[in-house]
Amino acid sequence: MSKQIQDAYIVAATRLPVGKKGGMFKHTRPDDLLAHALKAVVALVPQLDPARIGDVIVGCAMPEAEQGMNVARIGVLLAGLPNAVPGYTLNRFCASGLQAVADAARQIQLGLADVMIGAGVESMSVMPNMMGNKLSPNPAIFADDAHRGIAYGMGLTAEKVASQWQIGREAQDAFAVASHQKACAAIAAGHFAAEISPYAVRQHQPDLTRGEVQLRERVMATDEGPRADASAQRLARLRPVFHATGSVTAGNASQMSDGAAAVMLVSEKVLKEHNLTPLARFVSYAVAGVPPEIMGIGPIAAIPKALQQAGIRQDELDWIELNEAFAAQALAVQRDLDLDPDTINPLGGAIALGHPLGATGAIRTATVVHGLARTAGRYGMVSMCIGTGMGAAGIIERI
Amino acid sequence: MTTLHVRKAAVLGAGVMGAQIAAHLANAGVQVVLFDLASTEGDRNGIVNTALAGLKKLQPAPLASKARLMHIEAANYDDHLAQLADCDLVIEAIAERMDWKHALYDKITPHLSPAAILASNTSGLSIEALGAALPAALRPRFCGIHFFNPPRYMPLVEIIATAATEAATLDSLETWLTTRLGKGVIRARDTPNFVANRVGVFSLLAVAHHTAAFGLGFDAVDALTGPAIGRPRSATYRTLDVVGLDTFAHVVRTMQRTLGDDPWHRLFDAPAWLDALIERGALGQKAKAGIFRKAGKTVEVFDPATLNYRATNAAIADEVAAILAIEPAAERFTMLRQSPHPQARFLWAIFRDLFHYCAVQLAHIADNARDVDLALRWGFGWRQGPFETWQGAGWRDIAEAVAADIAAGEALSDTPLPAWVFDGRDGVHTPEGSWSPRKGGPVPRTTLPVYRRQRFPDGLLGECLPTPARDGETLFDNAAVRLWRLPERDSRIGILSFKSKQHAIGREVVEGLRSAIACAERELDGLVLWHEAPFAVGADLQELADACSAGRFEQIEAMVSDFQAASLALKYARVPTVAAVQGLALGGGCEFAMHATARVLALEVHIGLVEAGVGLIPAGGGCTALALRAAELARHSATPTEVMPFLQNVFMAVATAKVSGSALEAQELGFMSDHDTVLFHAGELLHVALGQARALAEGGHVPPLPPRGIPVAGRNGIAALEMSLVNMRDGAMISAHDYRVARAAAVALCGGEVDAGSRVDEAWLLGVERRLFIELLKTPETQARIRHMLDTGKPLRN
Repeated sequence: MSKQIQDAYIVAATRLPVGKKGGMFKHTRPDDLLAHALKAVVALVPQLDPARIGDVIVGCAMPEAEQGMNVARIGVLLAGLPNAVPGYTLNRFCASGLQAVADAARQIQLGLADVMIGAGVESMSVMPNMMGNKLSPNPAIFADDAHRGIAYGMGLTAEKVASQWQIGREAQDAFAVASHQKACAAIAAGHFAAEISPYAVRQHQPDLTRGEVQLRERVMATDEGPRADASAQRLARLRPVFHATGSVTAGNASQMSDGAAAVMLVSEKVLKEHNLTPLARFVSYAVAGVPPEIMGIGPIAAIPKALQQAGIRQDELDWIELNEAFAAQALAVQRDLDLDPDTINPLGGAIALGHPLGATGAIRTATVVHGLARTAGRYGMVSMCIGTGMGAAGIIERI
Repeated sequence: MTTLHVRKAAVLGAGVMGAQIAAHLANAGVQVVLFDLASTEGDRNGIVNTALAGLKKLQPAPLASKARLMHIEAANYDDHLAQLADCDLVIEAIAERMDWKHALYDKITPHLSPAAILASNTSGLSIEALGAALPAALRPRFCGIHFFNPPRYMPLVEIIATAATEAATLDSLETWLTTRLGKGVIRARDTPNFVANRVGVFSLLAVAHHTAAFGLGFDAVDALTGPAIGRPRSATYRTLDVVGLDTFAHVVRTMQRTLGDDPWHRLFDAPAWLDALIERGALGQKAKAGIFRKAGKTVEVFDPATLNYRATNAAIADEVAAILAIEPAAERFTMLRQSPHPQARFLWAIFRDLFHYCAVQLAHIADNARDVDLALRWGFGWRQGPFETWQGAGWRDIAEAVAADIAAGEALSDTPLPAWVFDGRDGVHTPEGSWSPRKGGPVPRTTLPVYRRQRFPDGLLGECLPTPARDGETLFDNAAVRLWRLPERDSRIGILSFKSKQHAIGREVVEGLRSAIACAERELDGLVLWHEAPFAVGADLQELADACSAGRFEQIEAMVSDFQAASLALKYARVPTVAAVQGLALGGGCEFAMHATARVLALEVHIGLVEAGVGLIPAGGGCTALALRAAELARHSATPTEVMPFLQNVFMAVATAKVSGSALEAQELGFMSDHDTVLFHAGELLHVALGQARALAEGGHVPPLPPRGIPVAGRNGIAALEMSLVNMRDGAMISAHDYRVARAAAVALCGGEVDAGSRVDEAWLLGVERRLFIELLKTPETQARIRHMLDTGKPLRN
């Protein structure tokens, strides 16, 4: 079932560098980040009239405040795309960006559109906490023990996975160190250059001594999260945060981040009309549900479904972007599915590179697309676990 | 006398003392510039910035609120001397080197404001010699200002004049230090180590000498020289570990050098074991090993005989403990002298040599005996100074015994006691004043106006100062409270003082409070709730436990209702009520303070709603008051019915039984109001509270209208708070019962299990907290917590 009604081809995939929460994008609005990603992806395909874009789908996990108001449409307009280009925001928490790319692909696959953009954006710097501006869970969650997993913080779910799958602290820390090492090596080798669209941060800072607004512009082109000084020894010093006797620390969990990415997909018709070179074909996408209290194992349920839909075997995957929400869950997924560690996150993952929730799926799609191109691999996958107990996996094929 | 207003101050030297002095100035609302040397590379203010970062971590906390840190500006001598121009006070606290200090003074003097006071925090150098380097115009405004570590907490400041220091400088500085920084000021003479350290360090060395002489272990001596004789828990050797053994050795060497003519000079030498410890880097607390060290969970003590550590095992011998329990003191000292037990003989020896030293040196080091005694109380935390201890033990008997020991060659020096000791006196402190050998008569307390703000100063034995229990005119009295007034101050402001143990709030206190308020409404213009610390440790748990074990829950609910009625009476009284809070104000104490019309807070207060520690929630109106506060704050926000943003933090404070470390923190936590007056000197509370009550009355006090239509967070709010509780419980950070107690607090703060945004009134909120309190009280876990607290004084985690 690898052939759909018609194929959807990725012709451009780009992202901004990822900033740490409170870091380089501290004062940059997420709708500005998104607008820049949209502008950049459109600019990569100059042959194509932007008015032909059927829809812009944007994933965002906390679509409120600075990234509320249907941020997709705001981003489209701020990017200067024609008024005719619509946009909508979707939310599947940490898979939002991947879901947006998949939904964009499906519009084409179903013959409903010829040009689509799937994107993702998230600024965790502007969120007062992980759970948005107003946390208000349903009281029913607490009335029934069956629901209590809904209330679990993600860190606690990782502790549950660590204890059920018996993933020890040392293994988690070692995984985290490897993530930083791979990311640092990739940055040094310039492997992210093809996927990153640099962003000029404009700061408006008060100069109190002069009584003036100081304008400063700095072009950001490198991910802010990776640490060359990460070591097992340093990580071992951190204390568990979510469980009194646990193993999940700030060091072996993903970083909170700010980021945006956009992927343009077209039909075969458009490909031929404009003589475009496709980077990849979007092959399949699947989601699956798991118990909320062990949400981290979501990919274990989603990956086989996506493989089955794609009609390929697991060992045909040359590149896997397995989101490192927590080292504990990533290791559990890797072990249960017997994924080849050498194909997982060759350039590091969210522990080093950061995890701007709803943007991550689109960001890592850009990584796979360019990674396969660089390494001449064939099949690549993006997969992640999702809060409240889900998993998602999307497969692409380099053309 | 012109009043000293310190709007901005500079502290020179960001070492341990300088940085902490800067912190305390910032606590007191002074803008501070903290100077040190410029760093040659990197951040020019690197040294100061490192010190400032350290202030946030240091314990006990030098900052009364972390927010005060931003009011200390980092500076260096190369780039920022111009900053001195508008500093009203400059405190120099650099290393103890005369040449360095002189060089620094040369550098700064051109930049000082012509009115600024310059003071040195030296503990070892001569103030006269320091001042000699200054330009003549500055000398009248130069003096010594000797703080004790930690400066926020140790009351003592010695101020030392030079011959050129102007009286007005000293008076205004003493006034400012007393009322604005809350210090106890002693005017010291410019003799080596001044007063407190001269006597205190002598005492430490004498203890060290006799430790060896009587073959006692350091742990045994600490057991003997701590609270058992009215000295701090850190006693002798733990104190040295805290001070730092290297620092102590330095002090001793300074004494050795500067006190060549002191008859006890041979004592001023570091014992061999001290050098041995320093050599191996065991410098005390800062090195995590010193005279004591922790080995896992056990504490080990250094043994000078083996030069190795051993487990601590010492205690006061039963027969010595029995002697130490004897009252009166005269008999106690007689028994100590007569006992053959080495611990008793040791104790007599250290007191004998202390008395001997103080009597001989008094004329040289201090103006009068009061200054010596207060210096030791305020600077070393002794309950009684050496002279009052002696006086309390029977002046003449002790004098004779000391003289006999001198004659027998048992004392550490053969210098005879001065003649005045034997002039027929019964002591040194009398109602007329304290003995001054220099003046040959008693010297009364200073008449500096600032001391009129302290109705009950720290009185010394023999002074016969008024005490709160006997002062004023009683209006109403029961076993637990006294309502009184000070007619010469304000005959129409009542003072209500608790008499219960630790000022715990039982039925009689509640009844007394309500009667007092009724009386005040009939006969007075205002009411002040004042007594010495603690303000109140909370509800009388014993009373609660008794009623609980008898199953009299209906009676308990009635008691809780009465408690709430007392809180409301404070709030709605027709006359203003002012709570003067110092020390602990926990549980019900906090609730009473919250409900008063206004509060006067000592800086050093520990305020909290700690009921969770015994498995309960605040039910004396505490949860209600916090819910009302949240509703009021929300009313002034952009979303007037969204109370949750104003409940989150107070919920955590209640659920975790958080206690403030200062008045400023109590305000930040939401227990106290930002409008409350904060006083740095607890002795001034009564004075200021009386003034506030009068001012409120003159302002035409009208009690607040009972709030109506109060929006509450209801079920959604409870769920939002419960979210964090589930994570803490399932993350093994709290127990199931902690969860239950915290959830009850959430329900009370959110106004019960009602729809979000429901509107309620005060009676509803009080009913919710009262019923939840009774429900919790019926659980075996809460009852176990209460029993455990009564038995051990510590909370039970179950």
